[in-house]
Amino acid sequence: MFGFILRRLVSGVVLLLVISVLAYTLLYVGGGNIARRILGQSATEETVAQKTAELGLDQPIIVQYFDWLSRALTGDLGTSWFTGQPVTEGISSRLAVTLSIVIGATIITAIVSVILGVWAAVHGGWVDKVVQGISILGFAIPGFLIALGLVTFFALNLKWFKPTGYVPFAVSPTEWLASVTLPIIALSIGCIAGVTQQVRGSVVDALHRDYVRTLRSRGLSHNRVVYKHVLRNAGGPALAILAVQFVGLLGGAIIVEQIFAIPGLGQVAVIATSQGDIPMVMGLVVATAAIVVIVNLLIDLLQGWLNPKVRLA
Amino acid sequence: MFRWKRAAAVGAVLALALTGCSAGGSNDGDSASSDKLTLGLIATATTFEAQAINFANEAPYGQAVYDTLLKATPEGEVVENLATEWKYNEDSTVLTLTLRDDVTFTDDTKFDAEAAAQNILRFRDGTSPNKSLLAAVADAKAIDPTTLELTLSQSDPNLLVALTQNAGMVQSPASFENADIKTNPVGSGPYILDTKATVVGSSYEFTKNEDYWNPDSVHYDALSLKPYADPTAMLNALKGGQLNGANTASNNDLAEIEAAGYTVNPFELNWTGLILFDRAGTIEPALGDVRVRQAINYAFDTEALLEAVGQGLGTPTTQIFPTSSVGYDEELDSAYSYDPEKAKDLLAEAGYEDGLTLSMPSTSGLGTTVFTLIGQQLKDVGITVEYTDAGNNFIADILAPKYGSTYMILQQDPDWALINFAIAPTATFNPTKYQDPKVDELIETVHNGSQDESDAAVKELNAYIVDQAWFAPWYRMQSSFVTDAKTDVKTQVGNAYPYLWNFTPKS
Amino acid sequence: MIDLTPATIPPKAARTSLIVRLLKTPIGLASIVFLTLLVLSAIFAPLLTPIDPNQASLQNILGPPSEGHPLGFDSAGRDVFSRLLYAGRFSLAGGLLALIIAAIIGVTGGLLAGYYRGWFDSVSSWFAGLLMALPAMVVLLAARAVLGPSMWLSMAIFGVILSPAFFRLVYASVTAVRDELYVDAARVSGLSDGSIIGRHILTVVRAPVIIQSAMILGIAIAIQAGLDFLGLGDMTIPTWGTMLNDGFVNIYKAPLLILWPSLVLALTCMALTLLASTMRDTLERSGTKPKKLKQRPTAGIDPDKVPAVTHDEDHRTAARTGEVLLDISDLSIGYAQPDGSTKTVVHDVSLTVRRGEVHGLIGESGSGKTQTAWSIMRLLPEGGHVTNGAIVFEGKGLAHATEKEMTKIRGRKIAYIPQEPMSNLDASFTIGSQMVEPMRVCLGLSKKAATERALELLSHVGIPNPKRTFAAYPHEVSGGMAQRVLIAGAISCEPDLLIADEPTTALDVTVQAEILELLRRLQDELNMGVILVTHNFGVVADLCDRVSVMRHGRIIETGPVRAIFNSARHPYTQSLLSAILEEGNARGELAPVPPQTTTQGVQS
Repeated sequence: MFGFILRRLVSGVVLLLVISVLAYTLLYVGGGNIARRILGQSATEETVAQKTAELGLDQPIIVQYFDWLSRALTGDLGTSWFTGQPVTEGISSRLAVTLSIVIGATIITAIVSVILGVWAAVHGGWVDKVVQGISILGFAIPGFLIALGLVTFFALNLKWFKPTGYVPFAVSPTEWLASVTLPIIALSIGCIAGVTQQVRGSVVDALHRDYVRTLRSRGLSHNRVVYKHVLRNAGGPALAILAVQFVGLLGGAIIVEQIFAIPGLGQVAVIATSQGDIPMVMGLVVATAAIVVIVNLLIDLLQGWLNPKVRLA
Repeated sequence: MFRWKRAAAVGAVLALALTGCSAGGSNDGDSASSDKLTLGLIATATTFEAQAINFANEAPYGQAVYDTLLKATPEGEVVENLATEWKYNEDSTVLTLTLRDDVTFTDDTKFDAEAAAQNILRFRDGTSPNKSLLAAVADAKAIDPTTLELTLSQSDPNLLVALTQNAGMVQSPASFENADIKTNPVGSGPYILDTKATVVGSSYEFTKNEDYWNPDSVHYDALSLKPYADPTAMLNALKGGQLNGANTASNNDLAEIEAAGYTVNPFELNWTGLILFDRAGTIEPALGDVRVRQAINYAFDTEALLEAVGQGLGTPTTQIFPTSSVGYDEELDSAYSYDPEKAKDLLAEAGYEDGLTLSMPSTSGLGTTVFTLIGQQLKDVGITVEYTDAGNNFIADILAPKYGSTYMILQQDPDWALINFAIAPTATFNPTKYQDPKVDELIETVHNGSQDESDAAVKELNAYIVDQAWFAPWYRMQSSFVTDAKTDVKTQVGNAYPYLWNFTPKS
Repeated sequence: MIDLTPATIPPKAARTSLIVRLLKTPIGLASIVFLTLLVLSAIFAPLLTPIDPNQASLQNILGPPSEGHPLGFDSAGRDVFSRLLYAGRFSLAGGLLALIIAAIIGVTGGLLAGYYRGWFDSVSSWFAGLLMALPAMVVLLAARAVLGPSMWLSMAIFGVILSPAFFRLVYASVTAVRDELYVDAARVSGLSDGSIIGRHILTVVRAPVIIQSAMILGIAIAIQAGLDFLGLGDMTIPTWGTMLNDGFVNIYKAPLLILWPSLVLALTCMALTLLASTMRDTLERSGTKPKKLKQRPTAGIDPDKVPAVTHDEDHRTAARTGEVLLDISDLSIGYAQPDGSTKTVVHDVSLTVRRGEVHGLIGESGSGKTQTAWSIMRLLPEGGHVTNGAIVFEGKGLAHATEKEMTKIRGRKIAYIPQEPMSNLDASFTIGSQMVEPMRVCLGLSKKAATERALELLSHVGIPNPKRTFAAYPHEVSGGMAQRVLIAGAISCEPDLLIADEPTTALDVTVQAEILELLRRLQDELNMGVILVTHNFGVVADLCDRVSVMRHGRIIETGPVRAIFNSARHPYTQSLLSAILEEGNARGELAPVPPQTTTQGVQS
């Protein structure tokens, strides 16, 4: 087990390195005239050239990359070219924002879709049809329309929540909760729809396994078999899809973050990437890649626990 | 285990709904109080470091924490601020300013002429997009603690205005080397950035500077500046009453915003239309022919475009000088009226009766509809436009220059600034460095002639470039600053964002 | 010799019938019709509207619907209806492109990595990790900056980015089945890797992949719209996303503008999701997995509805004078069909089992013997129920007993040994815990007592190292061991009646004999009644006192085992018997069967 984790971590570090090289190359190639974008249309060409030199953008890419890498290895990710904020600070503050939304959405998705999916699969009949109908609707309505609908109804009409903005937890826990509630719901709805289908599918699948009959033949009640054995076996696929959703949400929160004007990773990823804010994007890339590596590792550990066949050797 | 989960889920949802309710309910009123001014912006603060600071849409960030040497009234008149008096020498190459002696920075160091001089030089050598504002400054030195002397390499009619903008902002010299200076400014301004409550890129929170030397200009106890990346998010914030004022990215949602109880404060700042850079025809030989450039001017139904793209808010024009300019000529607003036949004739005369193809850049940043419409209008007179999506490199690409012509929105600066921005051979927006002897001569007169000579030269220059069709302007756009029922504002001539001290609570 | 090991339906037949079956469900029909119309309208857009979707007009900006322009005009004065039709071309094709690329990379990678493991596994899993960790936005924007805003390119890149979704799914399914017995069996019997992947593994991953495909297609279309919506698309071509963007910008000035693309987008995603879920349901019902096939014996067609040939008791059966444990009379079993009718699969079956007696139930695939066995425990698959007749166990009618009553009887009174040991153990729990749990529930034992008893039982069924087996997971023991474990589990609560459903079929010949020996010993010791379901006359001869021959859901001949062997009267029984003699096969595989039964393609 320890060896497994160690190996995964080492391969994770290699992954991070490769990704950082890839990302730097992509940014360099796709960057265009970054200094001009920082300075806007009113700056003269001389100012732009000076800024380019100041940022080191006139250096060969290899020099730039190793410059970045050598500082990154000491924990210094530089400062954003477009907001002047240290990248580590910018990312950690935004990470907290995005994680509070994404984890919230993932938890709600997990809970709701497990309940709905299991209910639909076990009960069958009309429950199954209704749950499927709802989840299909949720899946089919574009996310931003859901978000807009939520803003219009709950924030603008009922005035239960503020339509935009984010309050850090440290400033006020209740306001924080109020500021993330709508975004979490907006993000969850689409996810719940998809995951419910998967949970239902894998529970139906597990219900048809031979061991269900055999266990019941030993005198175990239907519910006991379902909630102990079927859920555990359906857990693997459900967990896998949740992990994919979680990773997807990290980047997929973009539109929700835009609509609610939430300073999260998704929002900054779009802005920083399109601007060519290399230090910020590199920081983001490294941070998200690290999160993905860790989440995948955790998921694999969980999978191993759920399905002993995938023992972690 | 499952039952527990179900119960927990129900509990969590309930808790969420309840706290959501109460939290929302208790916080309705905090944003729009008269002790706090909350403003929406379309730009985040690129940096707070005075030597690299931006202006225009980012002006409030700097004005909150820094004082400028001079100040401009809403109408654009230059008045005293940190400097109480100023005086040029005879040939306008030395400017002497008398400074206040009662100003301290928020780090308790004193403001003096030495501090001012250092800031001037640092801005000149820094990387602010507007650093060229001080390009003429050869040296700045403190004669005594209250006397600052600026020596110029050549006279600069725009210098005093520059000192009311970011070029005149003064940061505490003790903070020059601070590691966090980009996000934690130290100035002498009316407000102090509260870095703890600030979420960079989302909301910048300021508290009042209790020791401010000019308390009469401070009308609020606290200030919150909130940039919005998405216009719909800003619209929702406005509709939810979260903002006292905001500058809208476009006039698209004005009706909605007015319906939400906001007042629209209109002003004309920008013109929009085409820039025909390649007057020499080096990239697009056709554009070297003035008849082709004129044909392009005739091809656009500017009234309809104003309706279609500008929501009808603006004034059709064919000149790039603003109404406030001495060179402004009302006649020139309709020098080229929509006349596709005439356009075709001119093209035929120039030898393009079979049409021609122009390549232009496009970017979704300026909308998608407008590029489609340009293509359609030019196609109607026989000019095919081939677009290349330049994305975020749009400005860099047009200034490279990679194209002979482009659609653009440009600011209408004061005359001398405008000439040096869009017309002069060295101007940023004359990337082909096109030179016309007549234009050069007129610019020389504007620069060094007497006031009357200069005014006449501006007028002639304006008429000349309209006739030569250097540009194909459509209309002057209305910019809109919206304010709620509790807030009054005076819009600023020549700037996209009203100056901070011009916001007042409505009594 | 006829191969009765589980075979799969020829894929082609399955596919055709799948589409036919899909069309028979209202939702499937509706989705397919909608998607077909959508595709047709996209393909034939030029025939449906004469208007160029890119023809802008200053005069018609945001214009209302008018003659020839049923949906009005957008913000550049372009015809919305025409754009909607043409947009379908690009949006659908873009989504398909992403899906195809994702599926090709993901499925191939997942199959190979899951099947071969080793270095290919490590490498491709690493790449999947790389793809998932690389922010799509950075890649897309960079590609866009370098190669220009091409929708095809972004969707191709997106396909690559999405491929881990397939990879992980397929990989998980493949690793789950690659060690299953039937895959092992196929490998042992010399099938090439290619055929194994094609026949056995693809079958397993097909359904999840199809479902995932519909979802991915929906996601790809939505993402494409999202990119356009964010202004990162190619504005020169009409897509639903660019139309959404236009509508969104003008949402307050022309609210209807956003309605049409949203509607089409929503309906498309909905149709795809519905199609996927209907497809899954249909596949489940038809049974892609060999196991499921047992649940749908093709009976109902009943050419030989004649009374069973009944032999007289002989001295051996007459000596069994234990009380009658189980008395089944005129039992019929039916399955509810989607159209509301009931399909009867077992007809008028009558049989009795006395204490201490072994009653063999023999017949070929789909003859209804397993259905009969399950019905006794009332553990028929979904939709199955007793339609007629009575099952009386120790004087109590089971045919309509409540679930609660049945739960009390199962395990304690009637126990069950399944056919295939591996799939009948829950792979997620240790063998021990699967034995302890029923004992605690049925016998009310403490955990400690149940553990002790489980260890005892394990040793009793001939497991050499009970402690190790107790702590092991099912995949860590051999098939023979697993069957011993299941037998130990079945007898753990000392049942009166044991139902053994082909307990040796899945095992090696040498192990078969040991297991039969074990069953005989236990039956003696515990004096249980046994119903032994088999298709093997050798087993019958070995163990049974009495035998009933089933065919087409009926018992056609029944009597003491000797009588049947010596003087079978029904021609079918005779043909079964002569087959073993001709083959002289120790395993006694089932005899050639009349031609019409082979076409049924299902087995028990």
